[in-house]
Amino acid sequence: MHALVTINYIDIHWATALQVVLLGFIGGILSGFIGSGGAFFMTPGMMNLGVDGVIAVASNITHKFGKALVGSRKHAAAGNVDKKLAAFLLITAIFGIQIAVAINSYLFKEGGDGHGAAKSAGANLYISLVFAFILSFVALSMLRDVIKSKGHSEADSGPSMKIAEYLSRLHLPPVIHFGVADTKVSLWVLMAVGTATGYLAGTIGVGGFIGVPAMIYVFGVPTAVATGTELFLAVFMGAYGALSYAYQGFVDLRLTMLLYLGSLVGIHLGVYGVKVVNEKYIRVVTSLIILLCVFSRIIAIPVYLRQLGYLNYAAGWDYYFNIASKFFLFASGISGALVILLQVLRAYRQRRRIQKTLLVIRKPDLRQAESAQAA
Amino acid sequence: MAIVMISSMYQGGREELAQALKRKTDWPVLSREELVDEARKLGIKIGRLEVAMIKRPGLPEKLAREKELYLAFLTATLCAKARQGALIYHGRAGHLLLPGISHRLRVGLTAPREVRIKRTVRALNLTPDKAENYLAQLDEDVAKWIRYIHRADGRDPNHFDLFFNLENMGLSNAAGILCATAELPDFQPTPASLKLLDDLHLSSQAKLRLALDERTHAADFHVKADNGVLTVTYPPDQDPVSRHISQVLADLPGCREIQCTMAETNILWVQERFTPESDNFHQIIRLAQRWGAAVELLRLIPPGELQGDMAALGPDPDHGFGRQACAAAWDGGVEDDDPATGADDGGLSRTEEELINRGRYGGRHTVCGGYDQILERVQGNGRYTLVVIGDMFLAKGHSTRTRQTRELALNIRDRLKAPVITADELKSRFLFGQRQALTLAGFLALVILLYGLVFTHQKPVLDFLGGAIHQHFKWLAAAAVAVFSPLVAYIYGTVAGLALKIINVD
Repeated sequence: MHALVTINYIDIHWATALQVVLLGFIGGILSGFIGSGGAFFMTPGMMNLGVDGVIAVASNITHKFGKALVGSRKHAAAGNVDKKLAAFLLITAIFGIQIAVAINSYLFKEGGDGHGAAKSAGANLYISLVFAFILSFVALSMLRDVIKSKGHSEADSGPSMKIAEYLSRLHLPPVIHFGVADTKVSLWVLMAVGTATGYLAGTIGVGGFIGVPAMIYVFGVPTAVATGTELFLAVFMGAYGALSYAYQGFVDLRLTMLLYLGSLVGIHLGVYGVKVVNEKYIRVVTSLIILLCVFSRIIAIPVYLRQLGYLNYAAGWDYYFNIASKFFLFASGISGALVILLQVLRAYRQRRRIQKTLLVIRKPDLRQAESAQAA
Repeated sequence: MAIVMISSMYQGGREELAQALKRKTDWPVLSREELVDEARKLGIKIGRLEVAMIKRPGLPEKLAREKELYLAFLTATLCAKARQGALIYHGRAGHLLLPGISHRLRVGLTAPREVRIKRTVRALNLTPDKAENYLAQLDEDVAKWIRYIHRADGRDPNHFDLFFNLENMGLSNAAGILCATAELPDFQPTPASLKLLDDLHLSSQAKLRLALDERTHAADFHVKADNGVLTVTYPPDQDPVSRHISQVLADLPGCREIQCTMAETNILWVQERFTPESDNFHQIIRLAQRWGAAVELLRLIPPGELQGDMAALGPDPDHGFGRQACAAAWDGGVEDDDPATGADDGGLSRTEEELINRGRYGGRHTVCGGYDQILERVQGNGRYTLVVIGDMFLAKGHSTRTRQTRELALNIRDRLKAPVITADELKSRFLFGQRQALTLAGFLALVILLYGLVFTHQKPVLDFLGGAIHQHFKWLAAAAVAVFSPLVAYIYGTVAGLALKIINVD
């Protein structure tokens, strides 16, 4: 087996395969529950299994492409897709993806000393740093909003809208109107958000985490349309990302297929969970899961630094760093998925209970009075 | 009993037209401003709703409860006044209020921009430039407000019966035309429109009570009324609050029965005639039980249904326009209330009874017309998880029926922004039958084959993806990945979806 995995691909045994399926399953549950692609869990999860960062990203973006294609059909049927907005974002996002692919490829070729895993250390370090920075920001913002909204009514509990208010006052021409989303957005703002979304999708496989909040809070798009449009966009971004990475030989289809096995089941359970949990709870669970994932990635950073020669410690310590990183990643995903599954089970039991819940209160006095009056 | 609803933008002359009409008819006038003041006294935070709506576009979903409360107050107050006699109302979107009441006269006004600017200069003591900018911004904000509150375009001509341009016509003449129009038979109350007015009054009062009572104010209810019967559905997580519903609504005037159903979501079933023995009923009830959904019945009487009878009376002077085709067939279902009279309600009562027995009843309506009328009736009821178009246009041939049903479904989907399917599609899309079992078996075999092939031939696959072969066929490898990945997702996704359907998780 080792002969065929010359530089990029890992050996896949039963145990590895099961772990990838589990990653997909947990990622799918989280994805269905919190509305992201689940890459924040699956990408580092695969890296912890020994998959090079760039291959993990490439395989995940290919997996996301197929998943989005299937999912966006449902949203399109529900009228939740603004194709014009998606087209504008796509053009700029492709530019962002191209930047990301170029940086990743460069770091992969130039990184480390050119032997085994260390060759990808540069790319791994870069991906880990971007991952940690962006997702810490997202998770901490979410937590801050939940804490700030404590004691306020639900109507006041939305995230800060300072950016949206500021941009709406700026009136940067040309301003484009989007019919389905029913909003007007400056082309310059569109370009900035699209490029950033594409760059992040291409770098760490995370697009929805940035794209959906940006559409809601910066553009003023309704949530359902933001989710539907993002998924529609993800089809094209995923296709472009998958084509670019596949052209360079970074896509491991085996990993993509194993991820599907878990994620396409998990996503149904996650979506089911959303129906029965209140929004604040969703945000707290989401942010805690992301923070644990970030922590897991931070623990792995010294390994890449050592491989690049920036840190000097005994190579044997890499094992412990990897184990700790793996522990926190799986702890975050598994505990998050368990919490969600618990809610799903509760709802499932509740459904059975509510089959006969009709309560009819008749007011015979009034009815009799009416009959008498009619007579 | 005329109801005249006048709409215009700020300083567009609506108040003056209302007063001119009042002078001619002596009908009472009510303005949006008066209603808003009353709503504020009741504690409804309209200012916050407006600011949030206009300045914080991401927030609307959060304010849904405040919006419902505002609309319930407006509807309850207008219904109460309209039930007492004639009424003139003027506001920014008066024509969109009291949806479905056929005897209201919806009037739009537009005035020359220069006139509006002059009036704004006088009213607000601004310079003309500032007044112009102010009006431009205000018009945009009001349009946004109308889209959010009424989910409609405030300028859409489909929502008006009359539209005046005050550039060449004076207010007095416009009022004269209104006066004469309001006397036309088309705008006289019918049993159907009066019944609907009562239903709207009752449901809006119930919504108000539930929203203002401290025991129930934090919950989300879906309230409908039909002939004095209130149907309240609530989500399972608000089960503890539900016991207060009957206490809060117990002494509501006009309410003779309250039906509460715990439901996670709502399914709207549109059909011409209902029978609880039909396949459609069994399929929908299966789906409702799986989803924990309440089923809302909407009987749609197509306007052309009586065309045969009308033709017998001679040529139609209106060439098919107007609402006369249904008026003879449907008087609002007042007789529905008493099944003993034997009145034909299209099977609504029997289906309702069966749904109640199964704990899945979500209310009922009867509508005459097309998709515009359906939308008018259901738009304020919140979002539906699914709209099922059942057997429609029964008087037509098979091909016409299929085409018109499909067109109806498409139009409702576009306007209601909800998934809409026909009853024929229901089984294949959401239920598990023989066809689905065959699909599952076939696709499962394909999945096993695809995974088997890839994992038993890892070396050539990896060589093709990134090894020696890849160096010569880079574009081919990329194209293969782009085709293969979604193919696997589709095939395996279908298997996973169908498998979960079997255990009722979807």
